[in-house]
Parts: sequence; structure tokens; C-alpha cells
Amino acid sequence: MPRITANGLNIHVQQAGSGPDVVLIHGLTGDLSIWFLSRTIPVLAETHRVTAYDLRGHGYTDAPAEGYTSLDHARDLIGLLDVLGIARARLVGHSFGAVIAVHAAVIASERVDALVLSDPYFPALRHLEDVSRWGHWQNFRRQAEDAGVTLSSDTWYDLTTFFDQVRQLDDERLLRFRQAVGLPGLKRVLRLAGTTCGRDSKLADGLSAEQIAGVLQPCLALYGANSPFLTTADYLIEHLPDCRGRRIPDAQHRAPEENPEGFVVAVREFLESLQPAENCEVCP
Amino acid sequence: MSTLTSEAAILAELRCVFRESLGVDPVTPIDPATRFFADLGLGSIDAVVLGEAIQNRSGRRVPFHQLLAELGLRAQRDLEISELIAFLKRHL
Repeated sequence: MPRITANGLNIHVQQAGSGPDVVLIHGLTGDLSIWFLSRTIPVLAETHRVTAYDLRGHGYTDAPAEGYTSLDHARDLIGLLDVLGIARARLVGHSFGAVIAVHAAVIASERVDALVLSDPYFPALRHLEDVSRWGHWQNFRRQAEDAGVTLSSDTWYDLTTFFDQVRQLDDERLLRFRQAVGLPGLKRVLRLAGTTCGRDSKLADGLSAEQIAGVLQPCLALYGANSPFLTTADYLIEHLPDCRGRRIPDAQHRAPEENPEGFVVAVREFLESLQPAENCEVCP
Repeated sequence: MSTLTSEAAILAELRCVFRESLGVDPVTPIDPATRFFADLGLGSIDAVVLGEAIQNRSGRRVPFHQLLAELGLRAQRDLEISELIAFLKRHL
């Protein structure tokens, strides 16, 4: 299993295809398998060299106890690009993966050609959103309640509470919880729960609204048609100098799972609309 | 890894790969009806790593991305070992 060492971590990486570089960044509690399940990798590999990796604390990458802000993850990403010999890449991030992508564009602008931002919410822009609108979360909460785990409704992004509660379940309730919510790989979630990920994911750590709006690269704000974060989508389109929007039908917050075909088509079309990397004279 | 033509041989090899690459060695041995997620508590990321391990051991390229894409299409994302065996028999 391909693992490389970057920024002091062993990182699980998968690569395929040839062409301009694109890097896929999954969201919190996920892993790179989503890029296989959704066919993002085989489709983009027709025209790109595609790199997917597991974030620290996730999948088969190391899980240090601390350092889980978007800045920490962005430094891992730049380290990964260095080790893989990738000078510049198009970044495709889902949810917190998109926050990481933006933070990478802020700290290392010369390494990023363009960004696909799939349904992100930003800690610095949290005030824009009314989280109670996320129906999917409400279903998840109901299922968890049936298994004896109460999850808050107003701080749905509060992974700390979720993790704390899951960790305290006895074996029998843990089994019921696993069966109720259908969470595979629960052991991996528990590993993540032992880190500062939940706490750190709420921190802007320098990625302010001003920094976000300062991203000059071409961006696609790609949101599910029924995403709870459409106010954030509109904000990005309005405030970033070169950000267009697109909605994915039949999707809420998890388009790569909910409508993989729609997601992949949107990503591919955006990447194809970009100037070839070598000919780009106006890239920052 | 010699050419695997029989399902029994593939199953035996899989038990080995599960143990050595995924650290999975359940009390009840893995059999064709065993489900990847519901019974072994694994996730799709483990299917990715399993695919990698099998390719390394066999020295053959196996189109695991096809199996994962198929998995992605299922409402209940689970895989029986028998399906994995059938897939490997086709491609090894």
C-alpha cells in the first residue's frame, strides 16, 4: 500500500493517470475511498494525473494526537506535493477538504492552479448558516438517539461531542449504534475521536473571511441543490474574484455519495474549462 | 502466489491477505457468506487497501476500481466475500 512520508507523517496515497495534476481532498470522518466509490479517480485519470490521499487521522494515514486545523492539514498537503514532485495542482476538496484546499491556496498560492470547492462551510463564515435546515443531519440524529447517543442540533459540526459520546458507549450499545447508523469502520472513527480533530475543525486558524475572499485562482463553488450551505455558496461566488457556482441535483451535503455522476461531470467540465497549465500566463 | 483457479484457493489466499494486510483474523473464519462491512466491521477504505495488497501479492493488475464503483452504486454498501472471490477469479 503506497505510503509516503511528508511533514513528519506517513500518508496513504493513491495515484492514477497522466496529465495536469489534480489532488482530491476528502472531508472529515471520510477517506480517499469516496473517490473510488464515486468514480472520480477513473474518470479524471483519463485526462489528469490524479492524486488522492487520506488526511491525518483518517483512513490509513497516521493519526497524531494534535494538529487538525485547516492550516495543519494544508501544510500536510504542501508537504505531500513537495515529496511527490508536484509543482502546481488543481485541488478538488469536499466539505472540510475544500476548506483545506482554500487554506493551501492562501499559504502557498503558487502551488495551486484552480479549486473545486464541494460543499464547504468555513469556520470563519459559520455565522452565515442556519444548521437546523440540514435534514440529513436530523435523520442521523434520530438514528443515533434510537441507539442511545444524543447529538446536539445547533452545533452539528461539533464532532467533539459526537466523539465523546461514542467513546463512552459500552459494547452492546456500541454494536446497536453501529447497526443503527450503519457506520462501517467504527474503529477508525474512534481513533479520530482520540485526537483534537473535533476541537480544531471549528477554528479558522488564520483562514479569515478576508483571506478566503483573497483567493485569485479560478474556483468552482459546487454545492448540492439541497445543501444546507447555499448561503456560503452565494458568499463565495460574490466575494471571490474568479468563482463561479454550480448546483448538483438530488444532493444535499454529500454529492460524491448522493449523486456521484452529477458530481464527477461537474468537476470534469470545470477542469476542462481551465487554461492548460503550461500556457497559463495570468496564474498568480 | 501461484495461479489461483479454484474458489477454495482464492478464499484461502484472501484469509491470508486479510490477516497480514488488514490485521483481520476473526474467531469465526472468513467464509463466502461473510460480509465485508456488516460482519467484519471494515470500511470501503479497507477494500481499497485490500485491492492494493492482492495486486502486490499476485503481481497482476486487477481493476479494483470497477469493484469499488459497483459498491458505490449500492444503497446498502456491502460486499460478500463470495463476490470478491468471483471478481478475482475473473481477473487473476
